[in-house]
Formats: sequence, C-alpha cells, structure tokens
Amino acid sequence: MRLIAIGIVVFLLTSCSSGKKPDEQAFLKSLDSTKNTGPGVDEEVINAILGQIPSPIEISMLLKESGSKYNEAILNSTNNLPKYNSNFKKALNLGVYGTDLGYTNIFGRNQDAIKYISSIKSLADELNIGQFFDIATIGRLATNSKNLDSLLLITTMNFNQINHYLQSQSRDNLSVLLLTGGWLEAMQITCQTAAKNPENAELKETIGEQKIILEQIMLLFTFYQSDANMAALSVDLDTLKKAYDKININYTYKESTMEIVNGVAIIKDNSTTTIDITKENVLEIKDIINSIRTKIIS
Amino acid sequence: MKNITFVFLFILTAAANSIELSDQGCDSDNLANACIPKLSSGFNFLKSYKVNGEAKDKVEYSYVFTKGTQYMINLCPNGATADGVVVSLFDKERNKVASSKINGQFISAIAYPCNATGIYYIQYTFDEPSSHCAGSALGFKR
Repeated sequence: MRLIAIGIVVFLLTSCSSGKKPDEQAFLKSLDSTKNTGPGVDEEVINAILGQIPSPIEISMLLKESGSKYNEAILNSTNNLPKYNSNFKKALNLGVYGTDLGYTNIFGRNQDAIKYISSIKSLADELNIGQFFDIATIGRLATNSKNLDSLLLITTMNFNQINHYLQSQSRDNLSVLLLTGGWLEAMQITCQTAAKNPENAELKETIGEQKIILEQIMLLFTFYQSDANMAALSVDLDTLKKAYDKININYTYKESTMEIVNGVAIIKDNSTTTIDITKENVLEIKDIINSIRTKIIS
Repeated sequence: MKNITFVFLFILTAAANSIELSDQGCDSDNLANACIPKLSSGFNFLKSYKVNGEAKDKVEYSYVFTKGTQYMINLCPNGATADGVVVSLFDKERNKVASSKINGQFISAIAYPCNATGIYYIQYTFDEPSSHCAGSALGFKR
C-alpha cells in the first residue's frame, strides 16, 4: 500500500511537470544508439554482477608491490581522446582512462594524473555523466598517492551513482562498458608487466585469476546482445575466454578457524586455490588483450 | 469535484505517512556511509553495503576475493552494539568460512586473510526482529 501510494504521487508529480529544461532536452536527444533496445534488464541482477567485480586499482596495487617500474608507454595516451566519437568508445575509454589514473596515482606520477583527469572529465561530460565527477576533489586525491583510500572511495561512490543514473535512463549498457574498459586496461598493464617479469609467479597467478572476472563480464554481455557494438565486443571476449579455458583454477575447501582479537574476528582461511597457468598461456592472453584493447583505444 | 479532492488529499496523506515511516525506518544508506571510516587503519575502502532487512530475512552481496589479500568487513548496526545483526561469509560452494557471531557473541568486524581466490557471498542475517538495519563496509590490504 505504501509503495502504491508513493507510486501514485510520483506519477502525479511527474505527469504534471511537462516543461523540460533545455539541457535536459539536449541530454535526451543525446541518448541515441546507446539506449537499450532489448528487453528490460533486471537492475538487481546487473548490480549484483557489477558489484562483485573488483576495482582495477586493486590490481594496480599489486603491480607496484611486485617491484615493477612505472611505465607510461603501456597506458592509453590522452592524445587519443579526439578519436572517441561514439558513446560506445567513450564509455569504454572512460573506463580505460580511469584505470590509467589509478595507475599513475599508485606510482605518484602527478603530471600524468592531471592529463588523465582532464580526459576523464571530457569523456564524462560528453556522456552526460560529468555531473558525477567532482574533478577538483578527484584531482586533489589523484595527485597524492597517500590518498589512494579516498580515491577508491570516491571512484566507487561515483560508479555506483553513475550506474544508478544510467539504469534510470535505460543506458545501463554504458555501466558495463565503463567497467569492461577499466578491466581490460588493468589486464593490459598486468600482462605487459608480467611479460617483462616472466619469473614473477604472483603476476602470472593474478592473470590466471582473472578468469573468474572474465566469466562475470561475459555474463553481463549476454544481456546486451541486441546492441551491435556490444555483440561484436562479446565475440572478442569469447576469443579471450577460449584462451582462459586452458587455465585451471583448483579450489580445495577446508574449514576455517577463527579467534577474537581486540573485538575483531580474525579468520584463518584453510582453503586454497592453485592456478595452472604457463608462460605460454600468459603470452597468449597478453596478445589477445592487446588486440582487443587496440580496437578499443584506436 | 469534492470526491476528487478527497481522493487526492487521501493519497497525499497516505504518501506523507509512508515517507515518514520510511524515514523513521532503516536508513541503511547513511549507516553504510558512516561505516566506511570505521575500517581499521591500513585497510583501503572497497565497497559499502546497505543492510535493510525490513522486508526480508537476509541481505546478500557478492565480491571476488583474491588470494594474498586481507579483507575486513565492518558492521555498523542501527544501535550502539552489533547485537542481532550477523554477517557471514560463504565461499563459492556456499561453505561458511566466517561469521560475526562466535559462541553467541556478536562481533562488529571480521578480518579475512584470503587464501583462495573466488566469488564470496557476504550475507547479513537478523537474529532479533528489532535488529534488521545496518550499514557495512568492505576494505582490503595487501
């Protein structure tokens, strides 16, 4: 009853406000082909999948810990920005630049970070989601590597707000593209770094573990097969999946134990995973990622 | 006309009451935000979760945990203590790997040094009917 009452009032209020602001009209016009044409996608299902995919910044932290050096050449140059003239490319590269920003932040490269912030702002504005980017705050956080926690907080919050907003506009496919672009860039950086450090087992394992994330991303893409661009990208991701099919993640469950220390339940995880991945697997994945990414950033 | 006015006023009153009830109910959004700074030092924020069990017996989220990373799940209930709200962690096979209720004691934080990469389910349940509202935050450190 509560919901019905609110629903009726919301309906009355919205149907009474016939006058649209000029920028709103421009925005509605700009929805173009990015508006979903297929059947409605369950917001809860999409959110559940989106919510379980880790931030690319988590991977970038591993890269720094692995002792690898900052390498600007492996990032997507901000000079490519003018090439992105469809909302499909804009959304993907907004994700790409987001990961690159996180990478520059972790390595404390402020000048590079500023370039990425500017490109992020441009793409966000063009996608009509610029209002969710408090560029001054992101700039302050991203140019101080001690603020990683705050940067993670603000980017996560932003993503949640953007996702909710895009879903309300039936443009949730852009949320998926944002996330996919970010993940592919993190994969690209990790693979390039791993290729230079072939003996680093942790990097190799990280690449292998991404099989789980890829499966989730591909699951998301199944909801958007009526979108020609997403269907094409889905085919590319399927090529990547075939390479990942050669990798085994073996899970062994063993009951955990726990103790309370200073009011915190400290768990001892006795389960394990082992990942069967060879140097050849890494090289194959690197090449496929590179090929997909080249299409995206060009 | 009188009837239409009456119906409209009725709807507005019902809606106002509903909104008021909702405000007095579970503000899990604010609780989730307030939970973020309560993550222990050294942990980087990852996610905040709204835990509103007003109309359900459990609330569940999932996240991919990575081997070699330590995670912390904080619980911030709508009250002074964590009593009544339980957060449990399940692995991809639905084996319980952690719980904030240990020997009948309610704990407000779980630290989980992950040894097995995979999808984990973070599930919130409610032991007492009066405790169905909370916020929660997930953090990590390497």
